[in-house]
Amino acid sequence: MKKKMVTVLLTAAMVTAMAAGCGSSSDSGSDKKESYTIGIEQFAEHGSLDNCREGFLKGLEAEGIKEGDNLTVKYKNAAADMGTAKQISDSLVSDKVDLVCAIATPSAQSVYNAAMKADIPVIYTAVTDPVAAELADKDGKPVGEVTGTSDKLPVEEQLKMIREMLPDAKKIGIMYTTSEANSVSAIKEYKSLVKKYDFELVEKGITTTADVSLAADDLLSKVDCITNLTDNTVVASLPTILDKANEKKIPVFGSEIEQVKIGCLAAEGIDYIALGKQTGKMAAKVLKGEAKASEQNFETITEPGFYVNSKVAEDLGITVPEDLANSAVESFGDGN
Amino acid sequence: MSFITSILEQGLIYGILALGIYITYKILDFPDLTVDGSFPLGAAITAALLTRGMNPYITLVLSFLAGAVAGICTGLIHVKCKVRDLLSGIIMMTALWTINLYIAGTANVPLFSQKTIFNNDLMEKIIPDVLAPYATLIIVLVLALICKVLLDLYLNTKSGFLLRAVGDNDVLVVSLAKDKGNIKILGLAISNGLVALAGCIFAQEERVFEISMGTGAMVIGLASVIIGTSIFRKMTLLHTTTAVLIGSVIYKACVAVALRNFDPQAMKLVTAVLFLVVLIISMDRKKKVNTNA
Amino acid sequence: MLELKGIHKYYNPGTVNEMCLFQDFNLTIDKGEFVSVVGSNGSGKTSMLNIICGSIPVEGGQILINGSDITKQKEYKRNQRIGRVYQNPAMGTCPTMTILENMSLADNKGKVFGLSRGTNKARIDYYREQLSQLGLGLEDKMDVKVGALSGGQRQAMALLMSTMTPIEFLILDEHTAALDPKTAELIMKLTDKIVKEKNLTTIMVTHNLRYAIEYGNRLVMMHQGNTILDKKGEEKDRMSVDDILTLFNEISIECGN
Repeated sequence: MKKKMVTVLLTAAMVTAMAAGCGSSSDSGSDKKESYTIGIEQFAEHGSLDNCREGFLKGLEAEGIKEGDNLTVKYKNAAADMGTAKQISDSLVSDKVDLVCAIATPSAQSVYNAAMKADIPVIYTAVTDPVAAELADKDGKPVGEVTGTSDKLPVEEQLKMIREMLPDAKKIGIMYTTSEANSVSAIKEYKSLVKKYDFELVEKGITTTADVSLAADDLLSKVDCITNLTDNTVVASLPTILDKANEKKIPVFGSEIEQVKIGCLAAEGIDYIALGKQTGKMAAKVLKGEAKASEQNFETITEPGFYVNSKVAEDLGITVPEDLANSAVESFGDGN
Repeated sequence: MSFITSILEQGLIYGILALGIYITYKILDFPDLTVDGSFPLGAAITAALLTRGMNPYITLVLSFLAGAVAGICTGLIHVKCKVRDLLSGIIMMTALWTINLYIAGTANVPLFSQKTIFNNDLMEKIIPDVLAPYATLIIVLVLALICKVLLDLYLNTKSGFLLRAVGDNDVLVVSLAKDKGNIKILGLAISNGLVALAGCIFAQEERVFEISMGTGAMVIGLASVIIGTSIFRKMTLLHTTTAVLIGSVIYKACVAVALRNFDPQAMKLVTAVLFLVVLIISMDRKKKVNTNA
Repeated sequence: MLELKGIHKYYNPGTVNEMCLFQDFNLTIDKGEFVSVVGSNGSGKTSMLNIICGSIPVEGGQILINGSDITKQKEYKRNQRIGRVYQNPAMGTCPTMTILENMSLADNKGKVFGLSRGTNKARIDYYREQLSQLGLGLEDKMDVKVGALSGGQRQAMALLMSTMTPIEFLILDEHTAALDPKTAELIMKLTDKIVKEKNLTTIMVTHNLRYAIEYGNRLVMMHQGNTILDKKGEEKDRMSVDDILTLFNEISIECGN
């Protein structure tokens, strides 16, 4: 009898816990107001995605919407599980938040799917190809109350930069995870552009972190240099690849600032905090009622920044062309 | 309210997956890791067919069949090549990763512009406006119940008896002049068919195929089966399938509570603690039954 | 008629632990015989049963049933005409299924296990009648799971189930060894009754010398992969427990025990 009581009590507690969550924000909904409640759904724990979130909140703050003052943020992380992502989306929608910020493609799709009927605007970031993800149509127009920023790599600029730094290199290697849609579409773009800069592309597909070491050995035996995408699995194992590459004195190029910090030679890449800020500003427009999400086309990073690690360059015996060096947004490894 | 609806929807979709795992784990006593591959297989087939304009209802059948084929392959690897059960599943799961990529074309296929079982002209006509917010739940509920009832019926046929016997005591099956290997293969086929069907429904509800969606599916299903069967331990076999469905809903409810009320980082830990609480409660019950007996 | 011709059986062939059990082992069992097999541990009794049923392969020789060679036939196919009861009562029944479901399974042996209803309502009375002759009250527990029954009850069911459909051979592998004396007696009487009623050719391995003497019409004693005693009919009737015991002691002395 006692056990039954405990069961009943626990069930009751669980239901109350859920209900409590439900009721807390049901009073929101009028258009002109002083404070906002937004939801942030991030697909996984990941450095770049965390930077997006940080940048997003900074972007909002720059527009006068500050967490703690006039902004309540409900931040949820799906821990890379689609089912959990779906539950978060439903939960944020049932909370009737004013706007949902979705970080990474699976989250963006999940949130949009849930928010579509409820008419809650969705602002996404770190979605490489919003058109392929069906969040925007072929002309880049939003398919609904959904828009944001793409973290599409500046592939052409990257190739141009590598050509300038390594005038004699012929083969360029890329390792990517076959399951990451972003990587696959980036590979496609590389394929179409390498000829123009007189490179030959050697691609190496992997499925898990466990494959990285073997794949790196194989790739390094075939190429003159390596360039990275924003591939989650590969980036997570970047130290392994850098170690092996340094042994063979093969330069590794990065795709974003963090990668250059930890030892990539250089990158013509994305600063995710800046990308987040750009996204935050778009969200602010929607919240303030200046422009609907459906009225704003998705944006890509306006100007890719050049980042270089001069210590790595020195170790590899590579001299960075002067005009390139001068254009660097940030340079690491030389003491400052 | 829509929050509760969401838990039920998710719970019932994963409940179909759990029914499949119930067959392998509880009835066949076969730890089948194929599930992590056959769940997205159903979704991949669905994505490929829907984008080519296939009727969404037909995808349900085809996904089931595709999953069954995957199950048969696992079975053949295990029975004919004499590979250990766990390893056979791992081999198929690994192979399915690539197969799924080929079927779907890419790692992520959105289905926003396609007609699905939840969103088509027929459904709009049938479901009255009052029930519109619950349309998805109703459809999922109907599908889950159909699976449950068919599985119950099957387990009470002669073939179903044999399936139950093979996990229970395979010596008896051999004594009955039946090849136990074939029955295991049949069980794996039905199990993975159900799992792929769940993947198909999930993809249509979530309107996207994503290659990584199967990661951890086995664990979720297993937890649902164990929660369900522990809580409703005393019920007869006919109701175990119901218990499994409820177990899956409880799993999703635990995740939901953890998601809503706790820090994102703490989510997994809180979910784990909630499972433990659920299991301890049900274990105590069992003890009581034993002392009374 | 069942014949074992020139059987060779090695365990762990090709390793240092290689052990030869049978070297040119021969045994012929005629239709309708009830053979009791006795012998010390490791004498090859159970291995012989396993060879007949196809549970283990042989390295040489032939197994013939009514003249046709079944040496290469798979175990489950052979079981179409063989019923077997094991020493462990759990081996003959399904614990998570009810008595009714177990009986239905056994009743369908040799037929197709298709998508028709698992239990045939018309047969329930027949099952009840069969169970009631055990005198264990199982006929009133049709919906009880077999796992909840005692070892003796399960073994009685296993015996019923293995002889429910028409079979030619009944293989009993120390089927009373795990039971208490009273239950063992009951199972043994039941065995005798069924064998006589259905006129089954039976091979019974037992350690109970009294059963070996009292039941059956042929007695075989095995030692180190050979038959060292084989008595039929009247010859067998004249044997007593003491005779076998004496023989046992002789073997033991030979072996140095």
